[in-house]
Amino acid sequence: MITAEDRRELYLGAILLALVVGHWLAAFYYAPVDEHQGEVYRIMFLHVPSAITAFASSAALAVFSVLGLKQRSEGSLALAKATAEVGLLFTVLTLATGSIWGRPTWGTWWTWDARLTTTFLLALLYCGYLLLYAAMPAGPSRIRACAVLGILIFADVPIIYKSVTWWRTLHQPPSMLRAGGSTMEPEILWTLVLGMVILCLYGAWLIRFRSRNIRLGDTLEAASFDQLQT
Amino acid sequence: MMTSPFWRHYRTLVSQGIQAELADLERLVSPVLFALTTLLLFAFAIGDVEPALRIHIYLAETFLTALFALQINFSRLFEPDRQDRVFDLMRTYPVDHTAWFLAKYTLVLAMGSATLGPTLAFAAFVNQSPSQPLFSWVVVGVAAMALAGLAALGVLLSAMTLKANARQILYPLLYFPLATPVLLAAVQSSQLYLGSGQITADVRAWLGLLLGFDVIYITLGALLFTELVDES
Repeated sequence: MITAEDRRELYLGAILLALVVGHWLAAFYYAPVDEHQGEVYRIMFLHVPSAITAFASSAALAVFSVLGLKQRSEGSLALAKATAEVGLLFTVLTLATGSIWGRPTWGTWWTWDARLTTTFLLALLYCGYLLLYAAMPAGPSRIRACAVLGILIFADVPIIYKSVTWWRTLHQPPSMLRAGGSTMEPEILWTLVLGMVILCLYGAWLIRFRSRNIRLGDTLEAASFDQLQT
Repeated sequence: MMTSPFWRHYRTLVSQGIQAELADLERLVSPVLFALTTLLLFAFAIGDVEPALRIHIYLAETFLTALFALQINFSRLFEPDRQDRVFDLMRTYPVDHTAWFLAKYTLVLAMGSATLGPTLAFAAFVNQSPSQPLFSWVVVGVAAMALAGLAALGVLLSAMTLKANARQILYPLLYFPLATPVLLAAVQSSQLYLGSGQITADVRAWLGLLLGFDVIYITLGALLFTELVDES
């Protein structure tokens, strides 16, 4: 049965999805063509917001992990697991869009560049988190172990962010947050900022929705176990 | 100072750990043998290389071999504690958890040094060239700094995966990505040093990163190990 709360959640999701689609339209029709890269640069409007959402997910994972250690509750663990899933989704999306952009620009689908490699490591860490969750029996040990890993994953994110300035890399250096201001045209910059905000909000909604599903699954599993016992 | 409960616990746990390791010498020797065999395989596979490439190959071989060999050490750290439910009993005893972490960390540092020393020496030997000596005490120091960070990570991951199913698969899957920043900083600083023969500003920057990760992993290790073994 669909409750009023479920309906509100779904409406909110639909609105956010409409905003995502609206942003894509802005990326195609509002943002001008790049004078150096032509049309191919437009994939950046999906690539950069995905990367930001993937990094923001690792920060959220650390917050939920600290909460998990403090409260020792399955609720924080469900939120953390949902965050890892959403983080993995957006990291894979970042790698895929980067690869599609790299083919015409660098002439290759993949190179062992510092930023690409470290982002790939972030995807592996999210996978590791989900595997650890799956490999441990439910209970306080799982809450603690997953929380510890969540905090460790966050410690690696500064490396990924700074990799383009520390290593000689094919990936372009930061063009938004740099000394002397952004190098982008205002239309491109604002479309990009809008995309980041919308995708982060959509990611937050996905985390909330998915964590409710995880909790519901746990409740159902516990109920069916109780039924088997009686 | 040494008679406070913390140090008493620490001393007892270290001596218990050493006795457990000495009772099963195979655990100490097998990572060293693994490292030497891997280096030999690398040497056969790569053969003779141009002098310009020699430093890159030497460092890649050495640090990769050390990483794999140390992983064998780390992943079996709690093996003696698993027997007779020692680990579960320890959690219920009033043992200072930070002392427990430090004792395990000290043990891992000792076992890791026993693996790392022969690995570095043998790698320099198989890659040696009369015109380009590769063994350097600075590289040994960098490797020791890398070990300090990796050991804390090793203790933490061992405790974390102790109760997980498929631990043998899970451990390297978590260990390798988390060890990468330490490994990158160690390789880059060593490479720059061996290339120039001096501790330049670039070398110092990489050493700063290595030190930063050491501090992060040791601090997080000491703080989070307590959470992992807490019985409440």
